[in-house]
Amino acid sequence: MKITPAIAARAAARRPRSLQEGTIISLTTLTHPLAAFGNRPRTIALIRLEDGSKSLASLTAPGVIGQTVRPRMRLSHITEDQLRMYDVSYEPLALQRVPEHAPFPGYILALTGPSGVGKSTVSRLLLHACAEYVQNVPILTTRARKPGDEGEYRYVSKEKFSQWLEDGEIVAVTKIPSQDEARWYGYRARDIEAIWKKGKVPLVITETHLLQGLANHYSRRSILSFGLLPPGRSKRTMLSCLLRRLRQRGRETEEQIAARLDVAEQDLQFFQNRKDLFDHLMVNDDLNKVIDFLKKKVPGLSA
Amino acid sequence: MERAVSLIGFGQTRFGEWWGKGIKDLMAEATNAALDAAPCTALDIDLIIVGNMLAETLNGQAHLSALASTLLPHRPPALRVESACGSGAFALHTASAMLESGRARTVLVIGVEKMTDASADEAADALMGAADAEKDRPSGITFPGIFGLVAARYMHDYGLQRDELSLVSAVHHRQATENPFAQFRSEISPETISKSPLIADPLRLLDCSPISDGAAACILSTAFQSDLRLVASQIATDALSLADREELTSFAANRDASERAYLEANIRPKDIEVLETHDCFSIAALINLEDLGFAEPGEAISIYRNLYDGIPGTLAVNRSGGLKACGHPVAATGIKQLIDTGKQLRASNSRFGMAHNFGGVCATCAVHVLEHLPS
Repeated sequence: MKITPAIAARAAARRPRSLQEGTIISLTTLTHPLAAFGNRPRTIALIRLEDGSKSLASLTAPGVIGQTVRPRMRLSHITEDQLRMYDVSYEPLALQRVPEHAPFPGYILALTGPSGVGKSTVSRLLLHACAEYVQNVPILTTRARKPGDEGEYRYVSKEKFSQWLEDGEIVAVTKIPSQDEARWYGYRARDIEAIWKKGKVPLVITETHLLQGLANHYSRRSILSFGLLPPGRSKRTMLSCLLRRLRQRGRETEEQIAARLDVAEQDLQFFQNRKDLFDHLMVNDDLNKVIDFLKKKVPGLSA
Repeated sequence: MERAVSLIGFGQTRFGEWWGKGIKDLMAEATNAALDAAPCTALDIDLIIVGNMLAETLNGQAHLSALASTLLPHRPPALRVESACGSGAFALHTASAMLESGRARTVLVIGVEKMTDASADEAADALMGAADAEKDRPSGITFPGIFGLVAARYMHDYGLQRDELSLVSAVHHRQATENPFAQFRSEISPETISKSPLIADPLRLLDCSPISDGAAACILSTAFQSDLRLVASQIATDALSLADREELTSFAANRDASERAYLEANIRPKDIEVLETHDCFSIAALINLEDLGFAEPGEAISIYRNLYDGIPGTLAVNRSGGLKACGHPVAATGIKQLIDTGKQLRASNSRFGMAHNFGGVCATCAVHVLEHLPS
């Protein structure tokens, strides 16, 4: 069939819709395409675009099913009338290497929640009740000691932190900007593995970035992950509960508390968006209930 | 069925490359054979329905109804039906509707295609008319490519191996050796099929049905009786383009048409003993067996493995050789399938047989069930 200017114009009008990334549903390579499409093998794929629609289009290079592709304008073919026809062709993106996880070494108990929700209190009670089974993993930090810190941090110089990071000793890391300089936080593999060697379960009191880092390094299945939420039915009541607790704690200025609440709001969103990173979500309205729940859900503690 | 419709006569040309015969010659040969075999005379035909897809593009010939009508001395009324590769069976369905309504009493149905006058490239381009011209064509895809997409996904989802897929064409070629009307009457080993040139990865040359000339004709009647009764005639449709479908490895039109046909004939898949199915590409035969209820999804290859190993009790699939070995003169295929179903029911003295024909990538599908009632 000859492509007339009217047909080409209709195709051009439809083109903007196909300028999206997509995923290959299936693909084939025609060894001898129709003469109108040139004499080189042509790879054609059925692609699911980001908006959910599907498109049948050529690929710039062979790919595999499931691969991500990105649109490119490309010379499609030259017609009998020597018209150079350009059309959208999709370029398969480089395949990402699946990270090779370390073999399953044991598990890590993780407790994640916004500041002020009561993580430290819960962990203190848990460590007190189950000291034989659970041990806290120190958080490495480059920030200076502050009054109100309760021994959960290990203070290291920035030089040492970056040295460890370079040596691959630090398995999860996050950077929190503050007024004067960025502060680094992280976990060291050595600290976690030493606890395993003792036959205990490492407990990390953590936040969202470090939790993701640990899951990437040790694999998600190595982490028994609990999320701790403030009481309240809506985000608004949860946040006002946190505000009350932070003020009661009386460690920070109103300005710092406001900054913490901003982060807390993001954290609450994170619980919603990354449900996959949590095994259990708990509401901290009664400390005893939370500890009982933890004991019931963590193998070894209930016995 | 609203009335008892009998298949009272049928005939066909051998499928192949016929330099010396045009469209009208092919139709005449099939029609004469059908009339010779029928208990009626030419003058009893009160309607002709012609199935054809490509005459305008490949032969410069439209108006096939009038052309067909002049084959008979009394020039009965005639019309033409087009539904891509399913044109033959859609012509049968139209005939059946005419008979059931009482508008006609004896109908001659002809399927004809004359494809080898054109180059392979022209034929492949013309066949793309069965896909979506604005969604599919600009990508440069062809029908082997469309089924290549289907096959690649099927192999990905169900782990079907290339060597297993080769059993399909091997079985069809072996069975065609007994069919005098088949285009290719030679056995081909699965190894040869696996090594044939790549056409549309993963499909190879010997996975694809050929380009053929041929015609098939049959006479359906409510006025005359025979031992072959049409007990179901159902059609269904689906989106033209794969881009508008939910799934690649099963065809909705297949499922819809066959479910309706089972209901109309009041039978179940296990009652079918003879099946002629639309294997335009080897992968299609597997998907059809699953959609028509003869195998679970992903498991149809076991039927072909049993056929290849000659295990008795296996469903008789495409004893004619299928589209692969018989040839595939597009619109003639649907009629040929009904003819072969009838012949095999008689030969094996079985009761129910199914002819399953589809157009494009199963955007249209027609299923007919024949019941054999030996007197």
